[in-house]
Amino acid sequence: MSESEQIKSPQSSYNSPDAIGYYVYCVAESIPAEEMAGDARPGAIEDGADLELIKTDKLTAIVSKVPLSIYGESALSEKLLDAAWTAIRAMRHEHVVEHFARQTSVVPLRFGTIYLNRSGVEQMLSDKQEQLIPTIQRLKDRVEWGVNMFCDRATLLDNITNVSPRLREMAEAAKSAPPGQSYLLQKKIEASRTDETKAAVARAADEIESTLKGESDGSVKLRILKVETTEHGELKAKFAFLVPRSRFENFREAAEQLAQRMESSGIRLELTGPWPAYNFANADE
Amino acid sequence: MSSPFDQIVVSSDGELAEEAELSLLETLDHVLNRGLVIAGEITISVADVDLIFVGLNVLVSSVEKANEVLRERKKTTSKEETG
Repeated sequence: MSESEQIKSPQSSYNSPDAIGYYVYCVAESIPAEEMAGDARPGAIEDGADLELIKTDKLTAIVSKVPLSIYGESALSEKLLDAAWTAIRAMRHEHVVEHFARQTSVVPLRFGTIYLNRSGVEQMLSDKQEQLIPTIQRLKDRVEWGVNMFCDRATLLDNITNVSPRLREMAEAAKSAPPGQSYLLQKKIEASRTDETKAAVARAADEIESTLKGESDGSVKLRILKVETTEHGELKAKFAFLVPRSRFENFREAAEQLAQRMESSGIRLELTGPWPAYNFANADE
Repeated sequence: MSSPFDQIVVSSDGELAEEAELSLLETLDHVLNRGLVIAGEITISVADVDLIFVGLNVLVSSVEKANEVLRERKKTTSKEETG
């Protein structure tokens, strides 16, 4: 493993301008990590230092040295306010995790796990062994697929009388009812369309979750951070599924069937992945 | 399987396509909001992260900054063969 020229070896003082820390991307089992040791590697999160492996008996952390002048507590908090800086680092982080996840099961870490020296990392690997090893096993040969559900409101509204069982019934009743009653029913249908649209969206989300849960080892409904409106409509639900690699075709087919079924309701599904299993890295998920 | 990065597309007028922005947001969501949290020796406030998203969404629509981010993607993907 090469040492970089630009980022110096650990300094004794945390406050020294040359002080470095160790940025941790993910954790893998030591044997497969060792097998990858000679492979070409992607770049690290900062130029001037290469990726390194910090090994213990069972677990290995994938890390790189970072200058604490940038990655120290207050400096980093400030940097995170710079969206482009953050986006670039996040992409580098992702790229590293993906590289290792392609070859072996890894626990992807969230951005920003930094230790002041190697022994800190080694201590963590030892302390967290009982949590990390089962997670690595659980994620073995599995990848995360995201499903985003979009709704084209206009299409759904247009079709809602067909889509909603309740409105369908009312429409049938209106057809065969005497004129006065029929008119009232029509008014009721009109008034209900918005609520029924909401209900239809919720039903679609539930159907997606329960159907695809059956084709995966785990599912998570994700909080929508930003309301997206795209050509597919508005983002209405977001899920992550843990899918064994060998079962991906089944999963994809099920998603496709769902998408076809829901299309006339103005519901569009977007599949994104494969991702390292960030949403399934916690022991309780 | 293609990498999520392959989904990033720039339209002819230099703007990040919608799919590209969504793909970038997906990456950021994973890396900044998900993943295992291990308390290292540097503490970052998670509360700042949502602000990053808001800032980024505004930022990504600036062509100059988007290009900077995309140049970064090209740099990292050219360092090794894609699967």
